[in-house]
This record gives sequence, structure tokens and C-alpha cells, in this order.
Amino acid sequence: MRHLLRRLGWSVFVVWGVVSIAFVVNTFVPGDPARMVAGAQARPADVERIRQQLGLGDPALVQYAHFWRRLVHVGPGVIDGKADPAHANCAAVLPLGASAVHIDLGRSAQKRQPVVDLVATRWPRTFVLALAGMLVQLLLGLGTGVFAAARRGSWLDRFLVGTSLLGISAPTFLIALVLQFVFARGLGWLPLDGFGTTLGEHARCLVLPALTLGVYGAAYYTRLVRDEMVVLLQQDWVRTARAKGLSPARVVLRHGLRNALLPIVTAVGLDFGALMGGAVVTETVFRWPGLGELSVRALLDRDGPVILACVVVTSMAIVAANVVVDALYTRLDPRVRSAS
Amino acid sequence: MRSILTTPDALAPALAIAAAALLAAPLGCDRALPSPTASSQGTEAAPQQGGTMHLATFGDLRGGLDPVGTVDGISLGAIHLIFAGLVDYDDHVRVVPELAERWDIDDGGRTYRFVLRTGVTMQDGTELTADDVKRSAERALHPSTPDPNASAFTNLAGYEAYAGGKAEHLAGVVVEGRYVVAFHLDKPDSTFPQLLAMHTLRPTCKTAGDRYSEAWLACGAGPFKLLPDGWQRGTTLRLVRHDGYFRPGRPYLDAVEWTFNMQALAQRVRFERGELDLARDLTGADERRFLADPRWKGLGAMGADKTIYGESMNTRMRPFDNVEIRRAVAAAIDRDHQVLVQPSRMSVLTQALPLMLQDDPSFAGQRYDYPAALEHMRKAGYPYDPATQTGGWPRPIEYLIYDQGLNVYTAQLVQQDLAKIGIHIFFKMLSWAAFLSIQQRANASPMSQGNWTLDYPDPSSIFDPLFTTAALAPEGSYNTAFYSNPRLDDLVARAHLEMDETARRALYREANAIVCDEAPWAFTYGHHTFEMRQAYVHGFAPHPVWPLDVSGVWLDRAGQALEHALGGPLP
Repeated sequence: MRHLLRRLGWSVFVVWGVVSIAFVVNTFVPGDPARMVAGAQARPADVERIRQQLGLGDPALVQYAHFWRRLVHVGPGVIDGKADPAHANCAAVLPLGASAVHIDLGRSAQKRQPVVDLVATRWPRTFVLALAGMLVQLLLGLGTGVFAAARRGSWLDRFLVGTSLLGISAPTFLIALVLQFVFARGLGWLPLDGFGTTLGEHARCLVLPALTLGVYGAAYYTRLVRDEMVVLLQQDWVRTARAKGLSPARVVLRHGLRNALLPIVTAVGLDFGALMGGAVVTETVFRWPGLGELSVRALLDRDGPVILACVVVTSMAIVAANVVVDALYTRLDPRVRSAS
Repeated sequence: MRSILTTPDALAPALAIAAAALLAAPLGCDRALPSPTASSQGTEAAPQQGGTMHLATFGDLRGGLDPVGTVDGISLGAIHLIFAGLVDYDDHVRVVPELAERWDIDDGGRTYRFVLRTGVTMQDGTELTADDVKRSAERALHPSTPDPNASAFTNLAGYEAYAGGKAEHLAGVVVEGRYVVAFHLDKPDSTFPQLLAMHTLRPTCKTAGDRYSEAWLACGAGPFKLLPDGWQRGTTLRLVRHDGYFRPGRPYLDAVEWTFNMQALAQRVRFERGELDLARDLTGADERRFLADPRWKGLGAMGADKTIYGESMNTRMRPFDNVEIRRAVAAAIDRDHQVLVQPSRMSVLTQALPLMLQDDPSFAGQRYDYPAALEHMRKAGYPYDPATQTGGWPRPIEYLIYDQGLNVYTAQLVQQDLAKIGIHIFFKMLSWAAFLSIQQRANASPMSQGNWTLDYPDPSSIFDPLFTTAALAPEGSYNTAFYSNPRLDDLVARAHLEMDETARRALYREANAIVCDEAPWAFTYGHHTFEMRQAYVHGFAPHPVWPLDVSGVWLDRAGQALEHALGGPLP
């Protein structure tokens, strides 16, 4: 329990640090957010009025303090933005009798919406894409890695390792374009891009972006699993297992793969956290309206509240993934469990 | 598992060949363009009602659909369809009556009085009256409204008091009858009808109320209207026909639908399949492919140059405080070479005015003239010898640039051209936001790429912001060359007061000549849209001002009639 609390404390510190750095960078990098809202050709008087309306006229420290003060606070249980503009950008997340714990990420200067609404809409889409992409990565990566290790030095091994090199080297946009050409334009099996409006359409639209992420990431896992397994399959206990007459599949999976899982779990945790920040290129190419597309546009537009919200979500996802990885270690490795 | 793990080695090459074949098959068929989707009645098709026009854009709606909010190229196209103005621009960029039946000018150009058409039905079913015009103007110019164009109307009587929160109403807009409204100005201004034709003061429905609200559902008197679920943010926008539109029989289309954030490749593929009726964001390579195909060539259309590009030289920083150096730069740039970067969207620009505003064919402006450029360098005191490649300006000059395709390519050509006269520039690449910030700051950047899109099609939309002393500011200066010339200021000010169009044009011709000669900018090219339509899209032509005008468009897709009879799309 103490270990868990210590980890949570560090997590809060990490999120605070990352968000603060993002705030400083966004504040002091050249560029005028009010100008970006008003447009390149807006007259100075109009830019200044919009600056005041957006609250960008306040000193940076005031804006910083305002962000943290509003991020988590207690407010009314029912939010009526029109009657109570002070909580118009809030989302009530935890009822406390007549009150509730609110989260307020501010208001998007460009999209003129509460950021919490934008994130709430887009975060689940990114989560689904990250999950699907990670599943494909693991299915392909583990499968090919195991086969390559099991048939080390063979044609299959060389082919899979060579293909994985291609996968690592190819940028995601290239993989995305090839998949679009083959499966959407050429064969017509899947939608070219988009998000769809029904559950079935969402699923169909998810396939190509998930495959893109999967192919790209699987290449890395192929090499990781293969290299781990090649070493493990030469260990004495594996030889013993073979001598006992166990089937090759049982030897590879039970005695090889299971022991190779620790570094793989570490990599999965970090990758999944990063994917939760939004797979920018993949989301953009496939018009998947997730956090990646949102954060890139926010960066280009200098939309401060959205940038900070994306940083909060991403850093929390990475921190959470690390906590989960820690927990999995204890499940996978009895030595870690006993040490804990 | 056992059998797979012990598969013979021959499987691997087979797998490789199969994968390669899978990839190559569809890609190999990618060379020829398909035929355009046919029109059932051919080019002589008569206008017909019905159908949805499908469009896609690379970007998204940045602001919203309120004419008084922040707008961009995409939202402006939709706003033009939802909101009609008292006046509008015709295809020849003349200001013509729209919701106003006529207007007259009084008081030496200080009063513009508009008589509205009677019986104009707004999209909320109410009739347009002069009160709506005044209410909409006050809503637009109220200090709580995030209107980026509000200060274009500072000449309206009572603007300062109203915008400063010191007056409850805008004194300069006066309702003189149910259908008569007058705009009173502090000073005569011949450009006022141009300003009024912009989107900002277009009448809004009574549902808009007196004050700006982000929750309001855009509603005006234009040919198309927005339904409550019509805008799926970040995804699609669908506008449907306004049956009460004041022009009988228009629009022909049932609806117009945009899909946002669609990449160029996806747009091309969908256009080829006939899923898009108009392709607007094709890559340069794809544009060339379509134009090279005789079946498609006649279906492409270039818009008017609305944006001018040039090299902005800071006249207060060395070496561009020397007019001869600026003249050398203007003469050294080979503009014919520049437009080869994307011929379908660029045209040579040798003066401040884009093609649609040029009225003096004999005016040479700034031309590529290499010997003259060398002579200007000599006069500047920095002679350059091309044979020995010695001389010229002794230090490299920082050139500000932002990361956007076309801009990056043309900057490299400028770099090569200037090296030939002994001026060496190096690039400082920035994001758009940082670029704007530094370019518009005094004494921050000696040279940068300038570009300017016409707010309205009039020379004042170029000279006022880019070259007058009034546009100078220590931060956020439009006048990025920080150029000042009292004679030019005087000409531009007089042109605003001049009500005679011929005399006004003459003033701008002189202003144009001054700017071309003193070269705060070396003008390089004008930029326009390129649009490819399907053969069944009729009545479409790029509008010289608005990003999209489909009020006169009709569709006549082969099979559409059968589709309609069957009650659904054909398989």
C-alpha cells in the first residue's frame, strides 16, 4: 500500500512537472495566440479586443495559477453554463451531496468549446485506436517473433527479421498510404478514411489505422521477442524441458515466451501510454478524430488550453501505464513479488 | 502449432512473393485516371432541382458559422451560403444589390441609404426589415463580440462610443422606415459598399438576438440553411436549401455537404470514384495528371488571384534601407521561373495589384531584368561581378520563412536568383504563429516572404494595410516592410474620399507606380484556387471573391433520375 501511495505521489509530481514545462514553453515561444484566433489579417485593435476576451491579457503567472486552481475544484452538483458562467467549462466528475468535484480544462480559443468536452469526446476514440493498434502489434509482433526464434537461422527467420526491418524503417504515413491503396482503393474492402456514424462503421473505419499502428509497432516487437527468445531457448531449463519430451510448442510458449514477457510488458506499457497521446500521423491520414489530430491543430494554432489538456491526458496515460506495468511485474515474476 | 513451427523453409519465399503480389496488384493499376462520371443530358443540360453536392476540405472549420466570429476560408464559404448581404460582389467583382433593392449616396459620400427588397424571408420564417439590419450591425460591432473585422467600420458615425461601451446603440446606423436603413459615416468613403459586401454586417435572424452567443444556430437570408444537427464538429457540415430564398427557383441543390480534414490522397480517390462532386485540394502532381487528360481537362477551373505574394524587405534595416538594393532584388527575381512550382495555382505578379484589379495593361511594374539588377547593385555601392563572383552585399541576410510547401520552394528560387547579384540569404524556418509574430515586429527581420489576401476586391485592401504609414506598429504591423512615404499616404487617403471611380483609379495607379519603384516588396506571384468538377456538375465557376458559391449549381448525374425513381442509390 505504501509502495502504491509513493508511486501515486510521484505520478502527481510528474504530471505537474510536465504540464508546467508545457505551460512555460507555450507561453514564451514566439507567437500570439490572440492573433491566431483573430486571423493573420485581423487589425491590431481587433486582435487586442479578442486577447482581452480570451483572458490572454493577464500575466503568465496569473494564467498559470488560474489553470491549476480551476483544474480540480468543488462546484455545484448540476452545471448550468448559462445561469452560472463560472462553471460553464466544467464537467462534474464526482458527486458530493449537492456539490460535485469539477474538472475545468478551460475553453478552446479556436474551437470555442469547453476543452473538457473536446477531450471527453476524443479521448475514447484515441483509447480504442491505441488498444486496437496495440493488439495488432502484439499479435503480429509476438507471433512473428516466436516463429523467428523457433526457426532461428532459417528462411522464415530471415524473412521475418528482414520484414520487421522494413516495418521499423518505413514511416507510418507510408504504411498508411500503402494500406489505403491496397485495401481501400485497390480491393475496396475497407473505407479509405473517416470515423463512421454507426458501431459497424466505426469498426470498419478502425481497421486500417489500427493495422497501420500495428504493422509499424509489430516490427519492433518482432525483433524484441525474437532476440529475447533466442537467448532463452538456449538455456538449460529449456533443454531440460525438451529432454522431458514436451512438445516444441509447449517448450517455446511455456518455457520461452513466458520468461521473455518482462521486457515486453515494459515496452508495451510505455508504447501504450505514448499512443494515448494520440497517434498524430495515423489519425490525420485516416481522419480519425482523436487526441492526436486535436493536439497538432492546437499546437499550430497556439490554442493554449487545448495544448495543456492534451499534455495532462498524455502524461497521465503514460504514468498510469507505468503503474500498471509495475503491477504486472509482480504477477509475472515471483522474484519481484517476493521482494515487494 | 507443431506443424506451423516445423513448416518447410520453402514457405518463406512463397510468403514474400504473395505479399509483394498483394501490394503490387492494386498499385499497378494506378496509372490511368478513370473517366469522369457522366452527365445524363450532357453539356446542354437544363437546370434541375435536387441532389446533394459533396465537397471535402483538407482543413476544418476553425471558428464557427457566425459572420461576426472568427472565420477562415472554409467557414467563409459556408457563411456566404447561409447569410445574404445588403450588397454583394458579382462575377466581375462589382458591388451589386442583394437584399437591398437599391442604394443612394448622400452628403458627399457620408451617407449610404439602402432600400431593402420587400418580402425577403429569413431562415427562421420572419421577414427581413431595416430593424434586422441595425440589430445585426450592432451585434457585430458590440465590444463583447469577437469580431476580427469590427475595426474596418471605425468610420461609422458613433462607432468609437459604441465599441467603447459608452453608447447603447450605434448612432451611425439609422432605421428610416420598415425597409429603409441609412449608414452615416464620419468621413466620405468610396469603399464603404465594399466593406458592406463583406460577411461581417450581413443580416442575421431575430434568433441571433442583440449580442453574440456561441450557442446560436447560424441563421440568415442566404440560399442554404443550417439545421440543428447539420454541423458535426471536426467531421461534416450539411446545409440544406432555404425554400424561402428571395431569388425564385434558387438554389437548385437540396443540400451541400462538406467533409473536413480529408487528406489530398483521399480526396482524389473519392473524386475519381464520383463520391465528391468537386475536388479542391488536389496536389500539384494530381492537378497536372487531370489537366493532361483530355477527358478531364475541360472540367478544371482556376479561380481569380486573391492572394499576392512577394519578398518583403524591411526598409528600416540594412541593407534594405537602401532603395537601390530593393530595386536590385525586384529586378533579380525571375517570376516566370517561380510560377513553374505550381502552374495551376500561380501566376506572375509584377505589381501590387492582383490581376483582377489591374486596369493599366501598359504598366510594366517590376520585371525580371538581370542587367538592370546588377546596375542597381552598382548604384547601391555594392557592385557584383558575375564572372568572378565577387562583390555584392558582404554579409548573409536572414530570410524568415514558415514551413508550408509552396513557400519553401519559392524561397529557394529567390535564394538562387539573389545569389546571382551578390546577395546571399539564409533561411530561418518557423511555425506560422512564430513567423507572424517576428515578421510583424519592428527591426526584427530584414527580409521575409510577404503574402496578403484581399479582404475585399479593391486596391485599398492592398495599399492601406501593407504600405501606408498608418499601418505601422511596433508589434503586429501589417506593413511588414515598415515602409513610409508621405506621397503614397496622401494618394491612398485621397482615394478613399474620391467618389469618382475614374479619378480614384488614377490615384491608385500612381500609388502602384510608387510602390513598384521603391520596392518595399518585390512582388512575385499571385495565388488562386484550382477546382476540378465532375461532368454532371453544371453552373459552377469559381467566384472571384467567395471561396464557394453554389447558389446557381445543379447536378445532372447519369442514373440520378433512375436512382430517384427507385428511392435510393444505385448499387
